[in-house]
Amino acid sequence: MSRRRTFADKRSVLAVSVLVVFAAIPLLSSLISYVTARSAQPFLEMPDPKYENCVRETEYMRYHHWELLAEVREDFVRHGKRGDITLSGCKECHPNRERFCNQCHNAVNLTPDCFGCHYYPETPEAELMETYLNGKTTAPAAIAAAERNR
Amino acid sequence: MDVKFKPIDGNTPRYWTLVGILAVLALAGAWSTWLMFKQGIYLSGMTNRVPWGLQIVMAIYYIGLSAGSLVVSGLYGIFGKAEYKPFARMAAYLAMLFLIAGLLSIITDQGRTDRVFIEPFSHANPWSMFSINPSLYIGHITICIIYLWALFNEKYRLTKVASVTVVAWAIAVHSGTGAIFAFTPRELYTSPLLPVAFVAAALSSGAALMILVITALFKITKRHLDLGLIVWLGRLLAVFIVVALYVIMIENLHRFYLIESRHAAMYYLFGGWHAFLFWGGLILVGSIVPALILFKTKTGTSLRWILFASVLVVVGVWCERYMIVIPGQTFPPELFPGMEIVRSPLNEGIAVYNISFLEVLQALGVLGVIGCMFVLGLKYLPLAPAEARTVGESQMLKHMMPDAEVTEAAVSAEN
Amino acid sequence: MDRRDFLKRSGVFLVGAPCAYVLHVLPVSGARASSGHATATRRWGMVIDLHKCLEDCTACVESCRHENNVALHGDERWDVYWIRKVDIESKEPAVGTEESVPLLCNHCDDPPCALVCPVQATYRRDDGIVIVDHHRCIGCRYCMIACPYNARFFNYKENHDWHNKNYPKRSHGVAEACNFCAHRLDDGRLPACVETCQGIAGALTIGDLNDPHSEVSRLIADNPVKRLREDFGTEPKVYYIGLPGR
Ligand code: SF4
Ligand code: SF4
Repeated sequence: MSRRRTFADKRSVLAVSVLVVFAAIPLLSSLISYVTARSAQPFLEMPDPKYENCVRETEYMRYHHWELLAEVREDFVRHGKRGDITLSGCKECHPNRERFCNQCHNAVNLTPDCFGCHYYPETPEAELMETYLNGKTTAPAAIAAAERNR
Repeated sequence: MDVKFKPIDGNTPRYWTLVGILAVLALAGAWSTWLMFKQGIYLSGMTNRVPWGLQIVMAIYYIGLSAGSLVVSGLYGIFGKAEYKPFARMAAYLAMLFLIAGLLSIITDQGRTDRVFIEPFSHANPWSMFSINPSLYIGHITICIIYLWALFNEKYRLTKVASVTVVAWAIAVHSGTGAIFAFTPRELYTSPLLPVAFVAAALSSGAALMILVITALFKITKRHLDLGLIVWLGRLLAVFIVVALYVIMIENLHRFYLIESRHAAMYYLFGGWHAFLFWGGLILVGSIVPALILFKTKTGTSLRWILFASVLVVVGVWCERYMIVIPGQTFPPELFPGMEIVRSPLNEGIAVYNISFLEVLQALGVLGVIGCMFVLGLKYLPLAPAEARTVGESQMLKHMMPDAEVTEAAVSAEN
Repeated sequence: MDRRDFLKRSGVFLVGAPCAYVLHVLPVSGARASSGHATATRRWGMVIDLHKCLEDCTACVESCRHENNVALHGDERWDVYWIRKVDIESKEPAVGTEESVPLLCNHCDDPPCALVCPVQATYRRDDGIVIVDHHRCIGCRYCMIACPYNARFFNYKENHDWHNKNYPKRSHGVAEACNFCAHRLDDGRLPACVETCQGIAGALTIGDLNDPHSEVSRLIADNPVKRLREDFGTEPKVYYIGLPGR
């Protein structure tokens, strides 16, 4: 009897540890991207400082813009309430996805679903380098792009 | 009655080859599902006219097969046939697996598999058969697990309660699955009898599969199995077949008799190669032949014939599931009564559905997953009974089966 | 709290919680949409005058395709048509009626597609438009099974034509159907097909069915109108003038 018990115990310990490991994988991966997001130094092409805090404070926007967007989307698509926050509004100050959205998304290795269906202009990275050589963009963005290309 | 359970040894190369093959199938299914998730499900044979294909056929087929537990637990838990207790664990385990297979088929069939685990929980529509049914399936899986636990730990009262619940819940599950189709406004789907036919066919396919699995397991592991038990299950199977056949007959007669649906009924019964599946697969191979085999005393008491009939039923019920899902979609709705669509950028007539290779891989993959779980379960869980004998039935069996071989088996059980 | 009290309370909770859940979801579920639309008093409907509709004209189909980025893969199995033109002919050759009919989602008042959608992705707005929330659709295709008019389509393949960059396209794996150009109606513009047709034949009219003075109400009152398969009981809101057949 006692032998069988230990056997069963060993098995359940094994099963539980397998479960824990599997549950930990998604948690770990989101933890890692959270840490990288906090420590990343992406180049963001910023608009005129007077637009600072245009929608919400910068700090809030940096980490929670997607929650805000989801909320706005729900209000508009499901309830027909159109507020002042729209994706085309974002485009006014951040006209280029490559120099704004993609910088952080790439740093944390994340591909949001939005741009598959909603148009947001994007300059390919090679082109960005070229505009830099013509003196039309800043160095950090071009360097970041070149590094990623390497 | 004290029943001993003994897991199979599972050390032979044959065993591990089987596990390997099933695992490879599962991987192939996962690969094809990944491909469809990345590129779009045009890779399956589905089209805008036939939006439900093989995966839905397989899903309702698997869910029907899970009725095997219902049959056995009903025999043991409700009618108190203690000699079927040895199979109760296996039946409950198989039922759980087949429900998992059904859910897996449905999940892998979605266009946006990534949302399947989010949206149905956060925004469920309580009116939709597609959100009622998964709750029923998950409930059934849970009840099966409780039932299994009760059986493993020999909790008699809980077993009794759980087996009755399993039966009631399973009826709801199978009717609900039929209702997915029966409650939609399509000419060949709408029918109050479809859920009933679904339950009947589920019972017959479940019983047939139980016969096959039990016999195969006992033969391969060389354990003792009294023929009487299988013969009894065979009798039951025959009754289920007849009931299913009857309901399907009424359904089609009704459709054929009414003028407004006669055209659709003609298409269903005679219009195309699916008619072969209906007449040849469902009616002849799936119902009439096995019913005759099982009702005839000579063949109905011989193991070989019973197994043959069970295989026929398992095949026949697959044809029935195909006939539920596909012809109802390929038959076009009549948008303009009295008129005919002569020109359209799309196919407005009878549509075709060609099963694609990747779809077959997906279906096999699901089979591989649950096959693996079953074979490994036999090794690691106390599912398989050491032996199965009849008790106190020898008089009836003698009466039923005058064969020398059978009488001997029955008598040996008395001792 | 004594034992009796506890049992009573837990009983109330056990019964009450599911009831509260069901009551909470019922009004917004299935066929009925969530509240909040500013347009709750309006009910959009369309009238199609088949006498005016030109036989070989597909301008509405093309303008819809360009406005809404509707996918055309060049394979009739997967092509998407929010609106399509079909030619119908009487089954008895002696009668010999022929007509060219635009077919689109009928925006049923009791839409079976919204009833069966498991995640409420398809829903009926308060102004009567049946619309798909593509952010939520899981791609089960149950709505296509339930629609008795074959008006729903599925994105089997990724769509690479992006004609109108101001309007989103759809990823592969979601269902879609005509939405009366809800984005344009909300802005006070006419749907693309109606706008195009009014410059050519004037066969399509859209308007408020609740307003007895709107043009659609007038057309419905002045002409014998028919809807597709009224016997289904889905209460379509697309009316045809001059539709032949029974
Ligand atoms: S026509 Fe079809 S898609 Fe449109 S509302 Fe009616 S059922 Fe839904
Ligand atoms: S395909 Fe999408 S819109 Fe249609 S029923 Fe399924 S989830 Fe709803």
